[in-house]
Amino acid sequence: MRSSGYKRFVWWLVASVAVMCVPFLTDNGFMLKILAKDVGTNALVVLGLALLFGYGGQVSLGHAAFIGIGAYTSALVTMRFELPWLAGVAAAALVSAAGGALLALPSLRLRGHYLAMATLGFGEIMHIVFREATPLTGGFDGLRGIPSVAIGGFVFKSPESIYWLVWGIVLVALLLAYNVVALRPGRAMRALHGSELGSQACGVDTVRVKVQVFVVSAALAGIAGSLYAHVARFISPEIFTLHRSVILLSMAVLGGTSSLAGPIVAAVGLSILKYVDSFVPGMPDAASTFLQDWELDIYGLTIIVVMLFAPGGIGGAFRSLRQRFRKKAAPDPEGEGVSAA
Amino acid sequence: MTEAREMLRVEKVSSGYGHVGVLEGVSIHVMHGEVVTLIGSNGAGKSTLLKTVAGVLSPTGGSVVFDGRDISGITPEKAVEAGLALVPEGRRLFGSMSVGENLELGAYARRRSRSFSSEFAEDLEIVHELFPVLGERVDQSAATLSGGEQQMLAIARALMSRPRLLLLDEPSLGLAPKVISEIFAILDRLRSRGVTILLVEQDASVALRHADRGYVLRTGRVELEGTASELLANDDVRMIYLGSWKKSVSGT
Ligand SMILES: Nc1ncnc2c1ncn2[C@@H]1O[C@H](COP(=O)(O)OP(=O)(O)OP(=O)(O)O)[C@@H](O)[C@H]1O
Ligand SMILES: [Mg+2]
Repeated sequence: MRSSGYKRFVWWLVASVAVMCVPFLTDNGFMLKILAKDVGTNALVVLGLALLFGYGGQVSLGHAAFIGIGAYTSALVTMRFELPWLAGVAAAALVSAAGGALLALPSLRLRGHYLAMATLGFGEIMHIVFREATPLTGGFDGLRGIPSVAIGGFVFKSPESIYWLVWGIVLVALLLAYNVVALRPGRAMRALHGSELGSQACGVDTVRVKVQVFVVSAALAGIAGSLYAHVARFISPEIFTLHRSVILLSMAVLGGTSSLAGPIVAAVGLSILKYVDSFVPGMPDAASTFLQDWELDIYGLTIIVVMLFAPGGIGGAFRSLRQRFRKKAAPDPEGEGVSAA
Repeated sequence: MTEAREMLRVEKVSSGYGHVGVLEGVSIHVMHGEVVTLIGSNGAGKSTLLKTVAGVLSPTGGSVVFDGRDISGITPEKAVEAGLALVPEGRRLFGSMSVGENLELGAYARRRSRSFSSEFAEDLEIVHELFPVLGERVDQSAATLSGGEQQMLAIARALMSRPRLLLLDEPSLGLAPKVISEIFAILDRLRSRGVTILLVEQDASVALRHADRGYVLRTGRVELEGTASELLANDDVRMIYLGSWKKSVSGT
């Protein structure tokens, strides 16, 4: 166990260096900004959704609402109260987490799949709130002139600095998630991941674990929302829609339940789709228009293909490739525990 | 008969999954130190009854009384704290974790007790004495154990919570006859130590030979009840549930 944790840390380190080096490879500031503002914030939300799906066995169809709550909270804290960004992002995480707890507690106490339904309704209600609570949210027009991220005296204005900030947060969150899952405090989570009935039989309070994971995922979405708001410097209700929630969930599902890096890779791959023309320079207009027009269908198709041919998602596919490579049968750490028959 | 105290009373319990009712007014009881078996064909509701007693399912009607306390609708973690331990059908071990970690999780409900570490060490010793194989494989991942070893680990994990009533769901599932008799030999040892057991089994003949009393469950109702020897001698039981029983008797 310990040595696999060490190996994982080395992988994390290598991947982090690679990710952080991207700004040295390009001077396309527009692209870097997209990689931070859209791709990076999606990756942060998907990390939370992957924890929720993989370890709590739950799905959320309302995480765009938590991004929105974080974005509006952070914008208001910095604009109305003229507090620094750190106060804004802290408030964003707290308010989103509180919203997550209010939603998850009652719906998870009931046995059954009520949480997914509750998140769907919650997302729609919050979308209406963002649109209608004009004095706070600016209504349809949204909020403009949100201050840039600033820590101490340093203002994150250049595309490089913004990229490093967002991806730095994503990578630290990934490392923290690995540790929570691997260490002693996370054993109830790992037990739930291994087998729900098994963990109930051991006296693990599975409802509590699920609520905790949901709250963490809501907080991550809140932080992502704050980052988005202060990088884009403009937010409006149409950014926090059911459509967005569904896409985020697809990324988590596509990434698979057996790893946390898999969902992040999926988030990057699928988030880029929308901006494919600026990432692949020589691409004919017709091809990029096609990819953009059919974006949602491509998500759907990808998910179906994954479900059919690689049910473990990207993470699972990596794992089985690695195992084939070593020609050594390792136990499948997934599934509903070890069962007879 | 004053010393025979009642440990569990399930009174007219109805239960199921969502809107699907499975149990319809089931009543059973288990006395201190008894081994009671539930037999019945596939889908009769045996696992549903155990899950309802263990708090995994909430009864929609009736009551579950454990040691004089009404625990109907209790949460699973409170049930474990109260002294009920479920060994689920199909073991439900934590496959990617080691044998040692599985045993540690078995003691999860008592992690906050003040004398936890010394009690844990004691229990681990008892478990290793009962299941020497597990002691040899502490660091091996549960998924790589043989079927019999996995069943032993599932029982051991449940014992780590210091249960007063062990709820065993089909310990013989998928095991070879020789391994089944090993498992039942261990159950006999637990029984002689005074552990109270509610045992669900497909194999009625094995179950009744190792139990004091039994209930026959059929489509969510108790069809028959009696002492193990009464049930073994019952014509209906022999015909429906002990098809192979005559053969095994004539064979010995
Ligand atoms: N999770 C579930 N959701 C819905 N219905 C279920 C579920 N589990 C069991 N059932 C249904 O409840 C009924 C009783 O199932 P149960 O598992 O209690 O039977 P059993 O007596 O344990 O059978 P077996 O000997 O096959 O284990 C069956 O009709 C089954 O289809
Ligand atoms: Mg069963």
